[in-house]
Amino acid sequence: MNWEKLRRRYIPMSETMFYILFSLQEERHGYAIMQHVKELTGGRIILGAGTVYSTIGKLERDGLIKAVSEENRRKTYLITEAGNRILREEAARIAELYQHAEVLL
Amino acid sequence: MKDKKIVLFPGFRHVVPADFESWLEKMASAGWHIDRITQWSSFVMVFRRGAPKKYRFVYDLQAAPRKDYRAIYQEFGWEYLGRMASVFIWRKEYRDARLEAFSDQESILQRNRRTLIAVSIAFYMFLLAALILGLSFFTRTLAPGELFQAVLALALFLAVAAYLGRVMLKIGRKREY
Repeated sequence: MNWEKLRRRYIPMSETMFYILFSLQEERHGYAIMQHVKELTGGRIILGAGTVYSTIGKLERDGLIKAVSEENRRKTYLITEAGNRILREEAARIAELYQHAEVLL
Repeated sequence: MKDKKIVLFPGFRHVVPADFESWLEKMASAGWHIDRITQWSSFVMVFRRGAPKKYRFVYDLQAAPRKDYRAIYQEFGWEYLGRMASVFIWRKEYRDARLEAFSDQESILQRNRRTLIAVSIAFYMFLLAALILGLSFFTRTLAPGELFQAVLALALFLAVAAYLGRVMLKIGRKREY
C-alpha cells in the first residue's frame, strides 16, 4: 500500500490502534500488548482478545507491524519503519490537538 | 429433576451474535452448561445441569483465522468451546465487571459486519437459485411432476431467502452490540 493510502487509512487513528502500535515499539505478543496498554493508561483501557487479534491482523496486512518470532503458535510482533512513521505523524497530530485544547483547561 | 436440557435450533433462534452470547450467559447463570460446541450446535444443543456460574461467552465468526487466533484468546484466559461452521465460541468465568473480548466499538462493528457478510452471501445464493428456477418456468416446458417439484423448490428457496433477509435486518439493527 502506498504512503498516501496508509495515511488516509490510519490518520486519525483510534485510541486502540494508537496504543497497540505504540506498544509494539518493543517486541510483544498479544497478551503482553494488553498488559502494557493497561499499565500505560492506569487501567483505563483493557484491550480484549478479539480487539487485539483483529487490530494486529489489520496492522500486519498493511505492513505497519511484522511478526518477528513464533513459539507454540504464539507470535511476537514489532513495529515496522512504515508503522513508526505513521505513529509519529499521529503523535504530532495529537500534540497539535493538545496544544489547542490546553487553553480550555 | 432432569440433568439435561435439549434446545433445538438455538443458532436460528438467537441469530444476533450479542443475543446468542447473552442467551448462553443466562443459561449458565441458571445452572445450564454446555462444554462442547460442534458443527451441529446451531441445530441442537445439549446442556448439563450444574452450579450456576457467571460466564461470558464470545461469538466470533472467523472464516480464515490466522495461526495465532486461538493462542491469543487462550492467553487472555478464554476457554475454547468449539465452532459451528466458521463461528468460534469462547467462554470465560468472571466475578464483578462483565468481560469483553471486543473492547472498542470498532471491533464490535467489525465482528457484526463479518457475521452480516456471511449471512448476506447465503441470502444472495438462495435468491439467485430462486431466480434461476423461476426463469426456468419461462424457458422450458415442464411435465406436471417436474412442475410440482420446481414450484416446491422455488417456495423453499424463497422461504430461506426471506428468513435470511430477516436475519440480516436483525443483525443490522443491533450492529453496535
